[in-house]
Amino acid sequence: MLNDLIKKHIDGISDYTEVRSQINSNNRISIISGNLVGNSRVTSGGVCARVYKNGVYGFSSMGEYSDESIKSVINAARDNALFLDRRVNKNKLPLMETPTAFYKDTADFIDVPQKILLDYAKELDDYIVNKYPDLSSRGVIVSSDCIEKLLHVTTGSFSHSLSPRSCIYVSMSAEASDGSNIELFEAMNCGKGFFTQIFSTPSELYEKIDNLYEKLMSKKEGVFSEAGVCDCIIDSSISGMIAHEAVGHTVEADLVLSGSVAATNLGNKIASDKITIIDYAHTAFGKEVPLPVYVDDEGTVCEDAVLIKNGILKGYMNNKETAMHFGVKPCGNARAFGFSDEPLIRMRNTAILPGTDKLEDMIASIDNGYYLTKTQNGQADTTGEFMFGITMGYEIKNGKLGRAIRDTTISGVAFETLKTVDMLSDEISWASSGYCGKKQPMPVSDGGPAVKCKINIGGR
Amino acid sequence: MEMSKLKEIAQYTLSRLKEYGADEAQCKIKFGLVDEINVDAGEFSLMRSTFDSAVTIKVIKDMKKGVIAINKIDKESIDAAAKECVEAAIVSTEDDCLSIAEKDENEDFFCGAEKCDRDKLFDRINEYVEDIKNDYPKVFIEQLIADYAESQSVFANTNGVEYSYTAAYYSMGSMYSAHDGDKTTSFNSMGIDFVSLDEKILDKGTQRMMYEMCEKELEAIPFEGKFTGTAVFAPSCLGDIVATAIDNFTGDETIIDNTSPWRNKLGEKVASEKLSVSLIPIDDRIIGGERYTAEGYKSKNCDIIKNGVLENFTLSEYAARKSGEKRCPTLSSCMEVKSGNTAYDDMIKNIEQGILVCRLSGGQPASNGDFSGVAKNSFLIENGKITKPVLETMISGNLADMLNNVIDISKETAMDGSTIYPWIAFDGVTVSGK
Repeated sequence: MLNDLIKKHIDGISDYTEVRSQINSNNRISIISGNLVGNSRVTSGGVCARVYKNGVYGFSSMGEYSDESIKSVINAARDNALFLDRRVNKNKLPLMETPTAFYKDTADFIDVPQKILLDYAKELDDYIVNKYPDLSSRGVIVSSDCIEKLLHVTTGSFSHSLSPRSCIYVSMSAEASDGSNIELFEAMNCGKGFFTQIFSTPSELYEKIDNLYEKLMSKKEGVFSEAGVCDCIIDSSISGMIAHEAVGHTVEADLVLSGSVAATNLGNKIASDKITIIDYAHTAFGKEVPLPVYVDDEGTVCEDAVLIKNGILKGYMNNKETAMHFGVKPCGNARAFGFSDEPLIRMRNTAILPGTDKLEDMIASIDNGYYLTKTQNGQADTTGEFMFGITMGYEIKNGKLGRAIRDTTISGVAFETLKTVDMLSDEISWASSGYCGKKQPMPVSDGGPAVKCKINIGGR
Repeated sequence: MEMSKLKEIAQYTLSRLKEYGADEAQCKIKFGLVDEINVDAGEFSLMRSTFDSAVTIKVIKDMKKGVIAINKIDKESIDAAAKECVEAAIVSTEDDCLSIAEKDENEDFFCGAEKCDRDKLFDRINEYVEDIKNDYPKVFIEQLIADYAESQSVFANTNGVEYSYTAAYYSMGSMYSAHDGDKTTSFNSMGIDFVSLDEKILDKGTQRMMYEMCEKELEAIPFEGKFTGTAVFAPSCLGDIVATAIDNFTGDETIIDNTSPWRNKLGEKVASEKLSVSLIPIDDRIIGGERYTAEGYKSKNCDIIKNGVLENFTLSEYAARKSGEKRCPTLSSCMEVKSGNTAYDDMIKNIEQGILVCRLSGGQPASNGDFSGVAKNSFLIENGKITKPVLETMISGNLADMLNNVIDISKETAMDGSTIYPWIAFDGVTVSGK
């Protein structure tokens, strides 16, 4: 029905126009130290249009699905494009033509009752408090979200996608001997799917919870890292942050045009020969990636974007406009978060390809350094300077793991740090629980092997 | 949309919730529009206008809670949401600290500009972009987003509370860096809210000072070595220290679970006597500040730290009941750190070795206040002067310790429409480079 309405209005429009109808939903349970502080179901949906005119865009959205609202947003988007076009006169060429996309998700929306989420969270919380009564605080968050999009573009492209994602976050804290509160957090079993497609019984997470507790006990006795540049191994569970923060943002073409360090480095050697980084669209290593994207929000068929190959900077991530500017084919990186958001250049599933080394050999190769195993967030800079917060790690002394360390930060300059990579483990891990922030949030995943490099670590 | 229509929808929502079995209920109905102009890589790129509504419902039934949010205000959608919310409460767990706000005198609040002048907004932004090109030729606007946001909202609950709020104002945020040949600086960003387009946007706040410093950052070099000493935090990143500390040590989560180092310090000294911090949603210098909290209490300004003494936690009513403490009269983040008596220039003159931090790129501090991060857009202070801009410089410390180690607070402050911050010199911060 909605599909027919959009089709009716978009047929015959002469200017390049995208019309998208979308609904985002998030069901969430939060239990903090036994208190149910969150029990919410949030949905937000509507329709939007974006019109391109001589180098500028007009956009409009409304939170309604009706014949009238579709007509209104198309007219308002066209008026907005004309408003800017008349004032700035860029007189740029029409957007490049790309192959017409047609994609229709075959999956159905599953409305998981709130009680299922709540019971799961309560049982997990009961397990934690009964087994580990000495904790000073604990938290269990169950989150299940879904983005459903219906897209028509005047080029003829069509896509109807359903992107569910579910995740459980567990946090714990305990008092250290110096009286300070030490905490640890882990996202567990996150990935594509409605809650009941990923999670069946809380006992499936007990082993992970036990491991988290053990790590917290080590961290409680942990020491502050020694500030300075040193050899580090960044575990495979978090090395995707290098692909995302250190490299990914600098090679988003809109940031390249804003003067990122990648602007003058295309074709240059910017990393060790061992480094290959790819932003995967939907399939990697013969399997569907954690958060697959088949058609982007400009109606471009998604393909992998090769960013670095054997240490050479090979390409950027583009939308149609920047692809035209750089004279390349777009790979489908234009993505919008909500119905009221315009597509921006975003990463999808960005990963460092694995190498051939064994983790134990990597640890044995370091006399004095750190093995970093959990991160909490990261930020990038157009200069290539990046940082991640580290929430779990261990000293490495004479080739062996030593004491745990307290929270710290690591930082480096991407194209310098990547040149110091001399070992990569032979496995890959993906992380898909987070959001990337860039005007709008966006679910993304990243992955990689354990990476040995020289990096600046904060400390006392 | 007519405010009377929104009030009608709010009362309709409450009546449906009661019919479906709610013991107590509250709802907020909001309608808003935004007109937004984007500049990307120095060029105008997008004009965006959005129209949206939002309904947030909270139900308490048998001392159990459910919350639903939707963005549709038609009766059919509200009926479905009301039913779903009661059902969510039924399957929830009992908690005797749940409540809704008591009845107070109902009131209609207003704030801000009357109507968006799109042409004038475009002209002001165009002038801004040109001013930057002329006055700061090495500065490049990576992205600029200017908007006019107008919203009408109604909060009502089954105790008879009904407040409305009409707010409309302009905002502008820019992300920028400086470039000269092969040299490029870190990006920095700034944002400001305002109600009038009568004056140049570039002349508001401390923007000119920040753009001047950005050009100087082109000469930045990696910092080598390590020292523990003075760090001056500029208003642009003072919130990363003070607001984060307040949030970490006085907010719902760490007070409920007793992990805050300030849990038993109400009425006691937790910071230097030079430091006073208040939340000020009702203040002429604040644009579009909170008028009622998300729980339905009228907002009031509130001291959090006065002359170093902890006066209030920043607790919601729920957390207050849970912890046996007082509810904070506002849940706003509009913060004022009181200015000091020392001129900014004199503050710098008194520092032998230190760092001026203008942006902190760091992780979320631990609940005990330990933090570390990269000092961006920052400068060394040597022998009383701001000298070299630095790269690849990490700083670390403890938020609670820093608040006790205040050396000086500047007379001057920066206002951006939602915060009022001075420059503060803290002692005991570790600075390390390569």
